[in-house]
Amino acid sequence: MNFLNKAPGFYFIVMMCCIGLYRCHDTIDSPGVADVDLTHIPYQPIPYLPDIPTGFPALEQPVDNPMTIDGIRLGRKLFYDPILSIDSTISCSSCHQQPKSFTDQLDFSPGVSGNTHRSSISLLNVAFQYHGFFWDGRAATLELQALQPIENVIEMGESWENVETKLRRNSGYQSDFRKAFGIESASMINRDLATKAISQFERTIISGGNTRYDRFVRGEIFLNDNETNGYLMFFNVDPVLPDAQCGHCHTAPLFGTTDYFNNGLQESADLEGFADKGLGAITGKASDNGKFKTPTLRNLVFTAPYMHDGRFTTIQQVVEHYTSGGKFSPNKSAFLNNLHLTESQKSDLISFILTLTDSSVLTNPAYKNPF
Amino acid sequence: MKIQALCLSVLLLIGLNSCKKDTGGTLTLHFKAFYDGQSLRMFDTKPFTNPEQVQFTHLSFMVSDLQLLDQSAKVNLKDVELVDLSFDDANSADGGYTITIDNLPAKSYSGLSFGIGVPADMNSKKPADYPSSSPLSNSSYYWVAWDSFIFMKTEGRIDTIGNGSFDTGFAFHTGTDNLYRIVMANIPILIEDGKNKNIDIDLDYKKVLDGIDIKSNPQNHNPKDSLQIKVLVQNLSNALTLVQ
Ligand code: HEC
Ligand code: HEC
Repeated sequence: MNFLNKAPGFYFIVMMCCIGLYRCHDTIDSPGVADVDLTHIPYQPIPYLPDIPTGFPALEQPVDNPMTIDGIRLGRKLFYDPILSIDSTISCSSCHQQPKSFTDQLDFSPGVSGNTHRSSISLLNVAFQYHGFFWDGRAATLELQALQPIENVIEMGESWENVETKLRRNSGYQSDFRKAFGIESASMINRDLATKAISQFERTIISGGNTRYDRFVRGEIFLNDNETNGYLMFFNVDPVLPDAQCGHCHTAPLFGTTDYFNNGLQESADLEGFADKGLGAITGKASDNGKFKTPTLRNLVFTAPYMHDGRFTTIQQVVEHYTSGGKFSPNKSAFLNNLHLTESQKSDLISFILTLTDSSVLTNPAYKNPF
Repeated sequence: MKIQALCLSVLLLIGLNSCKKDTGGTLTLHFKAFYDGQSLRMFDTKPFTNPEQVQFTHLSFMVSDLQLLDQSAKVNLKDVELVDLSFDDANSADGGYTITIDNLPAKSYSGLSFGIGVPADMNSKKPADYPSSSPLSNSSYYWVAWDSFIFMKTEGRIDTIGNGSFDTGFAFHTGTDNLYRIVMANIPILIEDGKNKNIDIDLDYKKVLDGIDIKSNPQNHNPKDSLQIKVLVQNLSNALTLVQ
C-alpha cells in the first residue's frame, strides 16, 4: 500500500496554502472602526473531550477547527444571539430550540421576512454526520452550513459584513474570540471564526446512551413485548413478522443515514415532476430528484411535524404513510411498498420508535441560552 | 523565513512531479453494467421473464482486496471501494466506474483478483468502527439482522404484466461471510513505464438475476430468503467478464 501514499511534502504544501489563505482573511478590516489590541487577554485553549456514546462513530473534528472549551462557549453565545439577524429578532435558536430537541415544531419556520420553504431539522448528533447538511445536502460541513442562515433573506436577512462589524465592536465578543482563537486584534474577528465557533457548539449536542433503546443494546434492560415486536419489524430480524423496512434507511446507532432517498412523499409520473427536487437540484442528476436526507428518529416524539415539509403531524400518520407504500414516482425507494402491518403491529412499531427518546437533551444546562 | 518555505514547497512540487513521470505505469479498471450484452443505464426498460419488464434504479457493490498477481507475490492495489454503477446517462454508463492505480512497478503480471463484498476481518466490524472516509462507514451498507455489510445492492422496479406500469419495487442485497466471493482472473497483464493499461470489468445484470423470481419475492432481507441470496451470488461468476 505504501507506494500509493502521498509524500509528506504534499501535506506541508497544503499547510502552507492554508496559512496563506488564513493570512489573507486577517487583513479584512472594517472601515471607520479603530482596531483594538487583544493581546493582553490570555489565550489558553483547553481541548474539549466529547463524551461519545458506546457504538457511535468517531467524532472527526476538522483539523482546522478543534473543539475547545472557550470555542464552544463562544459558539453557544453566537447560536443564541439575535444580533446575527438584520433586526435583532432571530437567532439560530429561534428555529432550533433546545426544549423541542433543536427544532421549532413547525412545518415552516418564521424568519425575519416570511417563512422558510422547508421544515427545520433537529441538530441532535450533527457531529457524526459527514455527508452533507440540509434536507438536500447542499452544505458539505457544519462550518459551511452556518454561513447560510445569516444571509438567507427569509431566515436572518443580514450580511456577514454587518455581522462582522457588530461583533468587532462588542467588547464581550472581542474577548471571547481572543480566548477561543487567540486572535491579536478585534479586526481579526470574521465569519470564518464565527462559523467555526458555532460548529464547535453544535458538535457538543450529542444524544445517545440515555434512551431505553441504548440501554437495551448495552444489555442493561429488556424492552417490553410491544417494543420488542417493533424492534424485530424495524430491523426485519424475525422470519415470521412482516418487514417494516425502516432499518434500511434509519440505521443504528444514529437512526438516519449517510444516504439520500425518495420515500414516496411526492407523486410524479417522471423524474422531473417533483415540486421540491431536493438532492437532485444540488447534484443536477435527474435520478436524485425527489431524494432527501434521512433524518434521525431519535427524540422523534419532540420533533413533530415530520418530513421536509412538515406534512405529518403525528407519528401515526408517518407509519400510515409507510404502510401504504407511499406515492408513485420512478425512483421511489423499493422499500416503499405496502407493508401489510396490522393495527397492533403499527402500534408496536411506534412503541419501539419511542424507545429512542432522550429527554435529558432538552434540559441539559450545557446547551441552554447563556444570556 | 517565508521565502525559504516558499522555495522549499516549489522544490517539493518539482520533486513530486518528476517522481510521477517515470516511475511505473498505470492500471485503469472500468467497471460497467450491462443487460443482455447492452450497456445499462438507470430507468432503461428491459425485458425480463415474458411479459415482465424491469427498470433498474440502483446498482452497486463493494470491491475489496484488489490485487495484481505476480508469479511469486501479490501487489495490493486497494483495500475496499464502493463501486456504484447507477448511471443516468449513456456517456457515464459507457465510461463505467473507474479505479485508477498509478506508479505500478512495470512488468508482466500473471493476473488480477478482487473480492465482491468484504472479507471476514473487515466484516466483523460495524460502520461506526470505520472513519468517514471509508465506504464502510456508510451505514446503509450494513444489515443488522445479518451482522454483515451489504456486499451488493441491485434495486429497481418491475412491471409484472407488461403494461408499462412499474409499480413494484425490488431490492436484492447480498451479504454474510460465507457469501463473500473472490474473483480471480489468470490473464497476463503488462504494465509498462509511463503507459496506461485499461481493463474493463463487465457485469451483466440479466445473468445476475438469472433464476430469480422477482414478482413473488421482490426483496431478500428476511432470514428465510437465504436461498435467493445464494443464487444471486452464484450467478456472479457467470455474469462477470474481463476485457483487456
Ligand atoms: C428561520 C429559521 C431558521 C434559522 C434562523 C436558522 N435555521 Fe437552521 N434550519 C432551518 C431550516 C428550515 C432548515 C432546513 C432547511 C433546508 O434543508 O433547506 C435548517 C437546517 C439547519 C441545519 C442542517 C441540519 C441537518 O441535519 O442537515 C443546521 C446544522 C442548522 N440549520 C443550523 C443553524 C444555525 C447554526 C443557525 C444560525 C446561524 C440556523 N440554523 C438558523 C431553520 C432555521
Ligand atoms: C427508503 C428509505 C426509508 C425507509 C425505508 C424509511 N424511511 Fe423514514 N425517512 C426517509 C427519508 C429520506 C426521510 C426524509 C424525507 C423527506 O422529508 O422528504 C424520512 C423521514 C422520516 C420521518 C420524519 C422525521 C422528521 O424529523 O421529520 C419519520 C418519522 C420516519 N421517516 C420514520 C420512518 C419509519 C417509522 C419507517 C419504517 C416504517 C421509515 N421511516 C422507513 C427514508 C426512509
